[in-house]
Amino acid sequence: MIEAKELKKRFGRKQILNGVSFTANKGEITCLIGINGVGKTTILKGIMNLTPMDSGQILIDGEKMSKDMYEKITFIPDAITMIPTMTIAEAMQFMQDYYKSWNQARATELLRFFKLKQEEKISSLSKGNTAKVNLLLGLALDVDYLLMDEPFSGIDIFSREQIADVFTSHLVEDRGVVITTHEINDIEHLIDKVVLLDNGVVLKEFRTEEMREDEGKSVVDVMREVYRG
Amino acid sequence: MKRYLKLVNFEIGRFMKIYLVLIGITILSQLIGVIVMAKNYVANANEVIFVDSLPLEQFIEQYGEMGMMDVVGSIWFIGPIALCAAAFIFYIFFIWYRDWVGKNTFIYRLLMLPTSRLNILLSKATAIFIMVFGLVSVQLILLPIESMLLKWNVPFDFRIDMTVSEIINNNSYLFILIPDSFIQFIINYGIGFMVVFILFTAILFERSFRWKGALLGIIYCAIASIIFLAPLIYEIGFEASFFYTEEIFVIEIILGILVTAMSIWLSKLLLNKKVTV
Amino acid sequence: MNVNLNKREPVYLQVIRHFKEQIATKRLEPGQEIPSRRELANQLKINPNTAQRAYKEMEEQGLIYTEGNSPSKITKDEKVLGAVREELIGQAIDSFIAAIRPIDVPLDEVVGLIQEKYKGDKA
Repeated sequence: MIEAKELKKRFGRKQILNGVSFTANKGEITCLIGINGVGKTTILKGIMNLTPMDSGQILIDGEKMSKDMYEKITFIPDAITMIPTMTIAEAMQFMQDYYKSWNQARATELLRFFKLKQEEKISSLSKGNTAKVNLLLGLALDVDYLLMDEPFSGIDIFSREQIADVFTSHLVEDRGVVITTHEINDIEHLIDKVVLLDNGVVLKEFRTEEMREDEGKSVVDVMREVYRG
Repeated sequence: MKRYLKLVNFEIGRFMKIYLVLIGITILSQLIGVIVMAKNYVANANEVIFVDSLPLEQFIEQYGEMGMMDVVGSIWFIGPIALCAAAFIFYIFFIWYRDWVGKNTFIYRLLMLPTSRLNILLSKATAIFIMVFGLVSVQLILLPIESMLLKWNVPFDFRIDMTVSEIINNNSYLFILIPDSFIQFIINYGIGFMVVFILFTAILFERSFRWKGALLGIIYCAIASIIFLAPLIYEIGFEASFFYTEEIFVIEIILGILVTAMSIWLSKLLLNKKVTV
Repeated sequence: MNVNLNKREPVYLQVIRHFKEQIATKRLEPGQEIPSRRELANQLKINPNTAQRAYKEMEEQGLIYTEGNSPSKITKDEKVLGAVREELIGQAIDSFIAAIRPIDVPLDEVVGLIQEKYKGDKA
């Protein structure tokens, strides 16, 4: 389980996070929702120790972040984290060189799944394919937790569908996934849990199936209530 | 350790193209420089001696003989060295900022590697050191070749032959790059590496706190310089010499190590706790 | 398998209803193997945990059964199968009545119309 407790972060005069707490379970897909600039990405970077929090605590299975944790949890930012002049094969080699948790068989499978050619240079790929390579480099790690920042934004519909397919496949199975989005429509049926954020705090945290069962509301219904109400 | 070495190799690989171009420019410019200068000298000598009928002795008296000291003082020779020096000063910053700027988020990957973040810093520093030594070696190999080229192009009567160590000792900046004693070598490059680590710390201050960090970085550079130069400042302030040269030497070595260690320690702290992507 | 999922109703209930329809319409035969929860999640683009929950619920209701490690199968229990059929018929009639009652049509006329339409459609 990923536990975020009372996270606070200020950038200059702007209090981006003002006491954010939530949990994300292993084996579930948790979605952080909020308009752009609400601090979703900052939370993910905070979990990965890529941006220090001013206060608060982050625990992963009860442990604090450390260098060894990068074999257990990974982050897929919204832009690719590789050198553009590398080919896909070189990028995969880089990952294999540094991560014990790199799973080459899974990487090969993902290449096929996304129909990517490994001799292609990253800089020559389309936006959609770049997003897929970015995803591949994260998904091919045998980690327990995956954090993804806006995996569906700014790419074509077919790439989006392919990426959505990943979530229902064994490629994600049994892992804890945290994704951020400002556009929930495509993925409502994919997620287990929703954390609604605004003004640096969590407005509501709920499980999607429970919400449908107990109150007959879709995620968008709840968002309308919370953000407009 | 394995990951550190891999990172060093990786960093060098990323700069290799530019590095090879720098080496290429140095070789070409210096070799062409020797030939052009020698030809010009000989052409001038021919004209003065045969057309103006000046005796050889008088020509030499008036124009001087040609030797490697003329070559190493020329723009053909200094130019590429200055270019390489400028490139490496730029590279000290570039090696960090290229991973941050624009859409490039490679710093995410580097910081998320399952290895101590200190390794990232050390590998970047090591890459710089290795490549600087590489350039110095190229220069060392070039000097005898250039001497030989000069011999082929300028007749014996017109030239002064010098050994490589004579060339170096007769030129102040070459002497800094390639000192003749091991201790001097340690001092020159020790100071160089200390400066690299101080600048790295300043860069990481900036990367941690942005504008405020840039200010902190500058302040840090000032503090580090003051600490390192303290004995000299002290002596100048009191207009007296309190220490023997040997004492200054030992104190400076200790202070140098101290400042370098402090920089590395601070960098590690910043990388682990404060750096922001 | 193509299902239009509603966003306000629990997905697992919609999955179960979908299976009941398939059973009642004989598109799923008694004893026929059904997809694994992973395959189902992938086909319907739903969360695997939800697919899991739907299967668990169906297992409890006796709609499907699992022997050892082999894939789950549709029940052969006539009683359960009959109940599914009745339930679906009941639901369809209920919604039909709910729609037709406000129009205030005499029952005879409704039955007549149904007979006419029903036979006509089949032909």
